[in-house]
Amino acid sequence: MANLVRSVAAPAPRTRARDQAAARYLFLVPYLIVFLLFRFGPIAGGWLISLTRWNLIGSPRWIGVANYRALWHDSLFWVSVKNTLAFTAMAGPMLILGGLALALLVDQPLRGRYLARVLIFAPYAVMSAVVGVLWNWLYDTNFGIINYYLSLLALPSVPWLINEHVALVAIVLTTVWWTVGYNMVIFLAGLQEIPTELHEAAIVDGATFWQRFRSITLPLLTPTTYAVVILTLINTGQVFDQIYVMTAGGPGTATLTLVQYMYYQAFQTYNLGYGAAVAYATFAVLLAVTLVVHRLFRREAAA
Amino acid sequence: MRALSRTVLYIIVLAAVMAAVLPLVWMVSTSLKPEGQILSYPPRWLPLTPTLENYTSVLRRFAFGRWTLNSIVVAIAATGSVVLIDALAGYALARLRSRTSNVLFALIISMLLVPIQATVIPLFLLFAEVHLLDSFAALILPTTANITGVLLMRQFFLGFPMELEEAARIDGAGEGRIWWSVVMPMAAPALGAVAALTFVSSWNSLLWPLIAINSDRVRTLPVGIAQYMGSHAGTSGSAPAYGPALASATMATLPALLIFLLLQRYFVRGIATTGLKG
Repeated sequence: MANLVRSVAAPAPRTRARDQAAARYLFLVPYLIVFLLFRFGPIAGGWLISLTRWNLIGSPRWIGVANYRALWHDSLFWVSVKNTLAFTAMAGPMLILGGLALALLVDQPLRGRYLARVLIFAPYAVMSAVVGVLWNWLYDTNFGIINYYLSLLALPSVPWLINEHVALVAIVLTTVWWTVGYNMVIFLAGLQEIPTELHEAAIVDGATFWQRFRSITLPLLTPTTYAVVILTLINTGQVFDQIYVMTAGGPGTATLTLVQYMYYQAFQTYNLGYGAAVAYATFAVLLAVTLVVHRLFRREAAA
Repeated sequence: MRALSRTVLYIIVLAAVMAAVLPLVWMVSTSLKPEGQILSYPPRWLPLTPTLENYTSVLRRFAFGRWTLNSIVVAIAATGSVVLIDALAGYALARLRSRTSNVLFALIISMLLVPIQATVIPLFLLFAEVHLLDSFAALILPTTANITGVLLMRQFFLGFPMELEEAARIDGAGEGRIWWSVVMPMAAPALGAVAALTFVSSWNSLLWPLIAINSDRVRTLPVGIAQYMGSHAGTSGSAPAYGPALASATMATLPALLIFLLLQRYFVRGIATTGLKG
């Protein structure tokens, strides 16, 4: 009987299910087209382009890994690697720890905390070009308001964007102002996933804020922290906009980063093949850093 | 002790809020000053004689209105297409659960690791090949290949109860119909988050438009501001004209800030989900 029912009823649901799956694959088609054309295709194509000598005029010439060999001996490339890593090493911890500290702060039951969250996050809504223009003015050596307040504190005025030892730090501070709120928002969401009962129980047991932070908040926040760390590394490693507007890589090569250098090679001197090689080298550097961080988190999780 | 530490907390919050907001206040204030007062010493937070001359000068000398209009058109078109395409794809990926679809999904998210900058040279050559550089298509099309949107939509639909869809299916509704009239209306929060994130990233986008665009006809706000108001834009030797630069900065910021304040709930939800589940 059961067999009979199944054999009679089966064909209908099966075609139904097949139609359903077919319809759903159809739903995927528009995205797959744009993904292949504008993301996957260019990423794969970029690799091929990096193996050519390709100036805007004239056709590409296949030169194998010659661009990468040239990169290895290109001092400007290594300067931009160094600057990018320095930028990430300075901005990364400030953005991550700052975001966490701000999230902990506005997570406290303080009056006006919702308004504070929105306002601290607000700079993120300002476009990068404007961030650059605005901070050019704030950092102005003679008339900038930052140096004015430094002088009120009897501190010497700082040649923020015109001194090669300070310019990168200045860009770091601007970047922190601009995007620390983004990390704060992610951390806040993570904090709110932690059950309050755990904290309440710990308080009953007499745990201090720092004890609770170390043995409840931090461990339970690990997935969020991981996401923030990876996102921050990827974003700081690709820094371009604010530098383009504020210093354009200068003074000298003090703020020349990898993406700056790619832009310079590909779109100012039109060495498209070489520029593509810089782009892929950037990807390699970022991937290496990401993998190291990933390992650290894995070990942390295992311990 | 309790009260003291609370006071300290309030002071720190206040300091953080001031650090975030005061630069923007200073931007607006400077933009309202006549050129002579901008460089006056000591600086004054309120303009002595507020003026709109910086604004009129920007509007007279640059195609600022056109840039703004272009930015709005591009952001709306990009947001509309991303929301539609990603809602379709995210729904399909959440419901298919076959090996093929899992492989596709893994391929899609693995591309998150590749910096978007790695795509600009090939995209430049692609659009040059089809003679679409310096067009709206060049600005809009690449943004549609967005990954976080698909991720967000899939995540949302995974947690979405299937009973409603099943009921509609028993009533004889087709898959397209179910998606449009049963699923989409319930997906408003996720759609809002994707829309807010896409709009802002399109509105702020600089590198690709900088490469793809070279005429005012399609030039967007960030490109216009970066090219004409950035530090290396001024003619060498002349003092930087901060007034017009900050007036354009203010004009580009205030509407976006207003929209952000109205939509910040969606915005925050989008970012939080990317962080938690991404």
